[in-house]
Amino acid sequence: MPKNVIGSVMVLGGGIAGMQSALDLADSGYYVYLVEKGPSIGGVMSRLDKTFPTNDCAM
Amino acid sequence: MEYDQAVPLKYVINPDECIYLTKGKCGNCKKVCPTGAVDYDQKEETVKLNVGAVVLSPGFKPFDPSRFDNYQYSNYKNVITSLEFERILSASGPTMGHLTRISDQKEPKKIAWLQCIGSRELNKCDNGHCSAVCCMYAIKEAVIAKEHEGDDLDCAIFYMDMRTPGKDFEEYYVNAKEKKGVRFVKSRIHTIVEIPETGDLEVRYADENGDIQIEVFDMVVLSIGLEADPNTVKLSEKLGIDLTQSHFCNTSAFEPVNTSREGIFVCGAFQGPKDIPESIVDASAAATAAGQSLTAARGTETKQAEMIPELNVKGDRPRIGVFVCSCGTNIAGVVNVDAVKAYAEKLPYVEYAGNNLFSCSQDTQDKMTEIIKEKNLNRVVVAACTPKTHEGLFQETLLAAGLNKYLFEMANIRNHNAWVHKDAPELATQKAKDLVRSAVTKVALFEPLEEAELQLNQTALIIGGGLSGITTARSFAAQGFETHIIEKDAQLGGQALCLYKTTTGENVKEKIVELVDEINGNEKIHVHLNATITSVDGFVGNFKSTVDENGEAKTIEHGVAVIATGASPFMPKEYNYGKDPRIITSLDLDKKLMVEDPSLKSMNSAVFIQCVGSREKERPYCSRVCCTHSVDNALELKKRNPDMNVYIIYRDIRTYGEREYIYKEARKEGVIFICYSVDNKPVVDIKDGKLTVTVLDHILRRPLEIETDLLTLATAIIPNQNEQLAQFFKLPLNANGFFVERHAKLGPSEFATDGVFLCGLAHYPKPIPEAIGQAKAATSRAVTLLARKTIHTSGQVAKVDPMSCSSCMVCVSVCPYSAPSIAKEGRFAGKAEINPVLCKGCGLCVASCRSGAIRHNGFDNSQIFSQIFTLSQVA
Amino acid sequence: MAEWEPKIVSFLCNWCSYGAADLAGVGRMQYPANVRVIRIPCTGRMSPKFFLAALREGADAVWVSG
Repeated sequence: MPKNVIGSVMVLGGGIAGMQSALDLADSGYYVYLVEKGPSIGGVMSRLDKTFPTNDCAM
Repeated sequence: MEYDQAVPLKYVINPDECIYLTKGKCGNCKKVCPTGAVDYDQKEETVKLNVGAVVLSPGFKPFDPSRFDNYQYSNYKNVITSLEFERILSASGPTMGHLTRISDQKEPKKIAWLQCIGSRELNKCDNGHCSAVCCMYAIKEAVIAKEHEGDDLDCAIFYMDMRTPGKDFEEYYVNAKEKKGVRFVKSRIHTIVEIPETGDLEVRYADENGDIQIEVFDMVVLSIGLEADPNTVKLSEKLGIDLTQSHFCNTSAFEPVNTSREGIFVCGAFQGPKDIPESIVDASAAATAAGQSLTAARGTETKQAEMIPELNVKGDRPRIGVFVCSCGTNIAGVVNVDAVKAYAEKLPYVEYAGNNLFSCSQDTQDKMTEIIKEKNLNRVVVAACTPKTHEGLFQETLLAAGLNKYLFEMANIRNHNAWVHKDAPELATQKAKDLVRSAVTKVALFEPLEEAELQLNQTALIIGGGLSGITTARSFAAQGFETHIIEKDAQLGGQALCLYKTTTGENVKEKIVELVDEINGNEKIHVHLNATITSVDGFVGNFKSTVDENGEAKTIEHGVAVIATGASPFMPKEYNYGKDPRIITSLDLDKKLMVEDPSLKSMNSAVFIQCVGSREKERPYCSRVCCTHSVDNALELKKRNPDMNVYIIYRDIRTYGEREYIYKEARKEGVIFICYSVDNKPVVDIKDGKLTVTVLDHILRRPLEIETDLLTLATAIIPNQNEQLAQFFKLPLNANGFFVERHAKLGPSEFATDGVFLCGLAHYPKPIPEAIGQAKAATSRAVTLLARKTIHTSGQVAKVDPMSCSSCMVCVSVCPYSAPSIAKEGRFAGKAEINPVLCKGCGLCVASCRSGAIRHNGFDNSQIFSQIFTLSQVA
Repeated sequence: MAEWEPKIVSFLCNWCSYGAADLAGVGRMQYPANVRVIRIPCTGRMSPKFFLAALREGADAVWVSG
C-alpha cells in the first residue's frame, strides 16, 4: 500500500448512489467532496412519485 | 430552484435565461430580495482538489423518445414518457397529483404503457441492453394510477418479456395482474396513430392468438429506458476508464465497483442499468472499495466539529424562547405570524419571541444561537415545519448555544396547519397559537437528558463462509478490523464452488480458491469451520455469541454481525427428475462443463426448462439468476458442439441489464426459445429409452415434441433454514424465508436491529457481482458504525423508579426489544430496570406499568397531560 | 350563531401517523382546522387516562392513530 495516501474522496454525481456513497465514506472517517452539476442533490429519484413495492413516497 | 423539497433549498439564476445577465437589463430580483442574497457577479470558479480516491456516480440519462418517428412523442400531446407520468402522479407535480391529460385536462379512462422504448433496440437506436427497471416502474405507475382514479381506469401494459426479477417484484406483478386488474399484453407496438378530433391514440397490436387488434387509449406512456449520458462518456474518455458496449462502466464480476483505472470506483446506474436498492448497494460497496484503498489515511482529513460545553440549567426557572417561522410564504401566506409571535410573548415563562423568514437557513441558525445566549434562554420552541425532518437541525443549534438538546420542542404550524388549512387563515392562525401554547407548556417541563455512551467492540462476526461471507471478511480485515467467519461446512466457498463461470467469463472456482487462500493467510481473519451459532447475547457494539465448533463451545465477543448464510438449490420432484441420468439441474450441468464431460460434444439435442420451482403458488418469487445461467450454458453447449439443437423453454426471459447481449447472442447462435405458460407446462416423457419434452408452441398453436439427449431444469434458489438465527438476532423473515432488510429501497444491506447487517443470497437470489457488491455494502454500513468507536443512545427512553416498582414483570413481558429486566444485584435487586441502549422509547411499558413506576423521558405523563390541559384554554 | 363544530384531539404515533399528517401537508390536502395533534412516541404509549383527560378538557372526540 502506498504510504502517502490522502484521506479524502471525491464523489462525482449527487444522485441517490452518490449521496449514499458520500454518507458512508464520511461516516467511515474520510473527507468527502460531493460534486453535482445541478443546483441541488437528489438526482432522478427525487422526480419519482412513489417507489414500489411499498409505494413509499420517493422524496 | 428545482422543487419545494430541494436540497439545498436555494434559488439559483439560470444564466442562459436571465435578462440581466444576457442583456444587462431588469435586475428586479436584486431589488426585491429582502436578505440581499442576489449577486450577479458570481463567476464560475475552477477548484483544484487533491483526493485519495474518486467515486463516479454520474447516473444515467433518461432515453429521449423524440428520435423515434413511429411514436410521435414530439407531436402527439397525449404520448408522454414514464418520467412525465411520474410527475403527473406526484402531489408536487404540475397537476398536484390529479391524473389528467396535460393537453386538455381530461381525466383519462384508458392508459397504455409501451415497454422497451430505447431498450433492447438496436435497429432504431444503439441500446442493445435491457434497462432493468422499466417493467417494474410501469406496473407501479399502473397500480398507482388505478389507486388515484379507481378500478374503472383501464391500464394496459404492452411488453416483450415481463422482467420482475427483484425481491418482492414478482409478487407485485402477480398482484397487479390478478387483484388490481392491470392488463398485460405480450406485444411490441410499432406505431401509434392520433385521432385529431379527440387527441386519443389508436394502438394496433397482435394478440396472443396472432390476431390484429385495434384499441383506442386516452394516453400512451412510453416506458423509456436508461442510457449512458454522452457527457459521462466524454468524462470517462478523459479519465481513461473502459466502457461496455452500451457505454456503461466496464467492471468485472469479482470487483463490481472497480473501474479499469486504479483509485476510481463506480456506483449507481453508470455501473449498469439498475434500480434504487441496487444503486444503494453499489454506493456503499464503492465506499468500502475506496475506503479499503485509503485505510492508512482514515481520519486524517476529517474535521471534528467543535464541542460547546453544556450549561447546567437543572432546577433553573424556565426561560423559554419561541421562534415563529414564516417559511418564506409557506406559513406566513396563511398564518398571521406576527399575531402568533405576539401571543407567544404573553405565555408563561416565555422570555423571548421572534419571527424568522427561514428558520432553517444557516444565518438564522447563527442568529438564534446568539439570541439564546444573549437572553439566557434555557428552553426553546420553534414553531415551523415538522420535527421529523428538522428536529435534529434545531437541536444542533441548541448544542451550539451550550444547551442540552432535549430542552427543545417544535410546534408544527406548517405541515399540520398552514399547508392544510389554506382557505381558513383565521382558523389556521388560531390553531397555530394553540400549537405554540401546547409546545411552550410541554417544553417548560423538560429536563436535560443524558445519552448513554457505549464503547463499540471493534470485532466483526460473519455468519456464512460463502462468497458473500468471505468477501465481507476480506473487506473488514483490509480496513483493520478483527473478523470471525462462522461456516457450517468443512470448507469455505459455499455454493459458488458449484458454478462454472460468470456471465463475463471469469472462472469461479479458481477465483474462490484464490480468495480462500488469502482469507486463510490473513491474521485478522479467524475462520471457524463445522461451526454453528448456539446463542447470542447483548446488543449493538457488545454482542456475545456462543459458537459450537466441531462439538466444542466457544464464546466470541463482537460489535457487529453480518448475516451471509446464503441459499440452496431447489431439488425438484416434477419433470421426472431423478428418474433418468439425462435429466439434471443447472448446477449439474455446470459440473459437467467444469470437468469437460466428453458426452457434451456428441449430443444432438439439449433442452432447458426455466422456472422450475420458481414463480409458482408454492414459491411465488423469481430466482433472478436462472435465465441468464441457462442462456449462458446454452451458448457453452453451442461452443462445444455448434450442430447441437439447443432449446430453452421459458416463461419470460429475464436477462436484465447488459445480460441482454448474451440473450441476443444465443439467438444469433441458433438457440431456440419457446415460450410456455404456467398453466400449460411442458411434459417430459421417458419411453423406450427416448427422452422427449412436449410443449405447446404459441406461434404454431400446436404441441411440439422434442427428443433430447439432455434436459436441464433451471431450478429455484431456496433460502436456508434461517429461523433460529433470525430468533437469535431478532431479525424478520419474509413469507418465502429470506431475511427482511431495514428498508427495501434505502437500507438493503442492513437490518432494523442495530449492528446487524445482511448480504448475499440470504437477502434474495442474485448473481456473483451483485452478491459481492452487497457483501462490500454490508461492510461499509458496518464500518460507519465501527468507525465511531462509541455510540450514543437516545435520551428519550423509559426509566424505572425502583421505589415504586412492584416487580410485577409486565414491562418485561410487553417490551418488544427486551429492554426491561429484573435487577439481579445491588440495592434494587428484584426491581425492574431498563437498559437505555435497548430501549427504543416507544412507551409501551410506561403505559402498561400498573404501579406508575416507569417514567418516559421526553414523553412523560406530566408532559403529555400538560398538552392536553392546554386544549381548553383559549388564545 | 355559527354551526356547532366538534373539537377533536388526535394522538399520533411519531413513526407513522404523525409522518402521514406531515405528508398530507406536503400533498396540500385540505381538511377542517378543528383537530389538535399531540405527538406520542408510539401508540403503545397511549394510556386510558389521556382519553379521559382530553374529554374532560372539552374534546368532543379523541382519535388515536398508529
